Amino acid sequence: MKPQTVEKKYMPEMPPKEVEELNTTIKEASLKIIADNIARMKKTSPNRPEAMQYYDEISNFFGKRAEEIQEEKKKGKKVIGYFCMFAPIELILAADAIPVRVSSGWYDTSKLGDRIVPVEICPVIRSTIGAKMIGLSPFMEMSDALISTLTCDGMTKLSEIMSDTMQVMTMSPPRVKDSKQSLHLWNEEIKAIKTQIEQLTGNKITPKKLRAAIETMQKATKAFRRLQDLRKGSPVIMGRDAMLVNQTSTWDNIQRWTEKTEALCDELEKRKAQKQWACPPETPRVVVTGTPMFWPDNWKMPTLIEEATPQGVLVADEMCSSDRLLYDPVGIDEWTMDDMINAIAERYLMASTCPCFTSKDGNEDRINWLITKIKEYKADGVIYYVVRGCMLYAMEYSRVKKVLDKLNIPVYYLDTEYTREDVGQMKTRVEAFLEMLTARVEY
Amino acid sequence: MSVKIATDTLTLMLYGGVVAAGILALFIWVRNRTRKITAIRLFVQAAALFAIFATVLTLAKWNSLIYGALILVVPIFFGRFFCGWLCPFGFYQDLASLVRKKLRIRYWNLPERANRILHKFRYILAASMLATPVFFGILDWNVWVNFFQFQGGFKPLIIYFLGPLEPFLIPYPGGIGFSDYSLSYPYIRGFTQFFTVSIFTTIAVIAFIVLTLAGSFMVRRFWCRFCPTGVSITLANRFAGFKWAPLLHINKTEEKCTKCGICKRVCPVQVTEVYEQKGGDITTSMCFNCMRCVEMCPYEGCLKVNFANKTLVKSRNWLEPSKLNDEE
Repeated sequence: MKPQTVEKKYMPEMPPKEVEELNTTIKEASLKIIADNIARMKKTSPNRPEAMQYYDEISNFFGKRAEEIQEEKKKGKKVIGYFCMFAPIELILAADAIPVRVSSGWYDTSKLGDRIVPVEICPVIRSTIGAKMIGLSPFMEMSDALISTLTCDGMTKLSEIMSDTMQVMTMSPPRVKDSKQSLHLWNEEIKAIKTQIEQLTGNKITPKKLRAAIETMQKATKAFRRLQDLRKGSPVIMGRDAMLVNQTSTWDNIQRWTEKTEALCDELEKRKAQKQWACPPETPRVVVTGTPMFWPDNWKMPTLIEEATPQGVLVADEMCSSDRLLYDPVGIDEWTMDDMINAIAERYLMASTCPCFTSKDGNEDRINWLITKIKEYKADGVIYYVVRGCMLYAMEYSRVKKVLDKLNIPVYYLDTEYTREDVGQMKTRVEAFLEMLTARVEY
Repeated sequence: MSVKIATDTLTLMLYGGVVAAGILALFIWVRNRTRKITAIRLFVQAAALFAIFATVLTLAKWNSLIYGALILVVPIFFGRFFCGWLCPFGFYQDLASLVRKKLRIRYWNLPERANRILHKFRYILAASMLATPVFFGILDWNVWVNFFQFQGGFKPLIIYFLGPLEPFLIPYPGGIGFSDYSLSYPYIRGFTQFFTVSIFTTIAVIAFIVLTLAGSFMVRRFWCRFCPTGVSITLANRFAGFKWAPLLHINKTEEKCTKCGICKRVCPVQVTEVYEQKGGDITTSMCFNCMRCVEMCPYEGCLKVNFANKTLVKSRNWLEPSKLNDEE
């Protein structure tokens, strides 16, 4: 039988040799970067929690977890990748599929993405395209389908570009969160994606399974929140470590992740009781907000903050790659199918503080979340991190600044790219900001 | 005689004190157990049911006084706390809801507009309750005779089936109170009793009960949406002179809210203000303080129940999948 050739809308034809070459070089570089990042994290906090070892292991994209998923796939499980955290994980789990987040953080692949889209586009998008072009990300390659939520402009077109190579299920969130018709639309979207997931996996999502999935995720949320709560006082864990823990939840086996995170929290609690701080308690406390940062390459900002002199510590963030991931639980009134679907829809839509939303009062939720975080985590300053091309976050900056100015919290706008070239310059900027924060802490 | 009154008063005060202390103790016990509100509420409701039976049986003389206080005075200070936590008819409806829940049937939500209209309908209901005796009295002098003698074929039935709950089933004793009795009749009886058409009355009352219970089977707290009892709290809310009076509030902290919408979804009478209002006091005349929203809110301290500026219960970062949801 002749294989059906579908004309590709976007993806260029690349000679297999070039693909292979690029794949090996970038993969090698990536492995080095992962090792380097972990080494630096170890160096920064000499008494790093022992439980972190597990996350170091799982953070390797090409290692243990990829093999595990491969094994599961052989047994007939399906893998569903997703970009934005709007993808209903509970439904994926209930259909016995494996959810993995495939948004890319590789710097090198963003250059490849330039071949398809202009450089002005957000590097997360370009990098993801690039990774797909050379088949770099094992998770993406193993995915049987992608769930793409059409949040920002980049994501919207990304789903189109991706559909050249694999099945993409799209979900369209409404831009206004709190109107009746929005919730209605989103409810329908969730129902539609449920049918699609069922079709893909061949497993029916029964109320019983869905309930089990929701409870699994609630347990994960519990562990997740416990960890975030532990970061409230004097730092027991460095921000980067916590960020890594948060982010591994997007590709790890969630039950195992929950267990390991509870164990980590136990260890951290002991340390808290013994007053073993990860860094001096008077270290300036920084909250980061803005564009998501993806492991492994885009670890530039947190590394700079925590390795700078004077040192800063990331106590919290408002990013969909870290603190927002599992924070909101699905709250069920009655365990009927309809109510569960409703609850899932509400959890993903209403609790989200993604800047792609607006409302009568603007994206008030995001501001509130940020203020709460700043107050609860006693932050000394905020770094507003934006990658070039991420318009939604960039445009909300002046509003955030106005609000934070009123609270007398210094906020610093840092824009960058998926590149290592500006590290030196960024270091100077971050250090100047931290210097200022230190001065404010001391005097 | 005076000794009798004094003893009765003393007993009453004792009862009142025990009940108040019990509720307070419950709240203190409940402090960090926000997740158990529904169970505790059902327990209080069941206890209240028996307490009311007992009170009515032992203190028959003071019935109208107790009912008057419960229905007219308590709401001024506690809002519709009575409706949510003590009213036996509310308890019946909750039981109907529980049966539905056990059967895994999903409730129906009324359209928001219909809900609002029903809510306004209770004013008409309350007004007509108060007006019927007068109206029928003008038509037929005999009505006044029945009125004062408290006659009618329906009375035995209601004692038989509902016993002391009659005034609760029909919470608003329209017309005038007189010595031991509230002199007008239940909603349906209001129209029929005056002519002592016993069969018609019986049918009407049974129809009423079936309708409201069947209604509350599919629509949570169906009757409560237009029950005239809530009128008195509106009085407390509407008139400036009473602004100080409601002591029980549900408050919302704007900053902690991420508008996840859980509160709105779980509310049994579909109050939307809890979600739509940004912060501050979100108690409305529809809200009967069942505190389900506080129980389900997943953000620490976002929703709080305040009594006289003291926080009794606040929302918790609940994350243990609640066993309650299953067992109810």
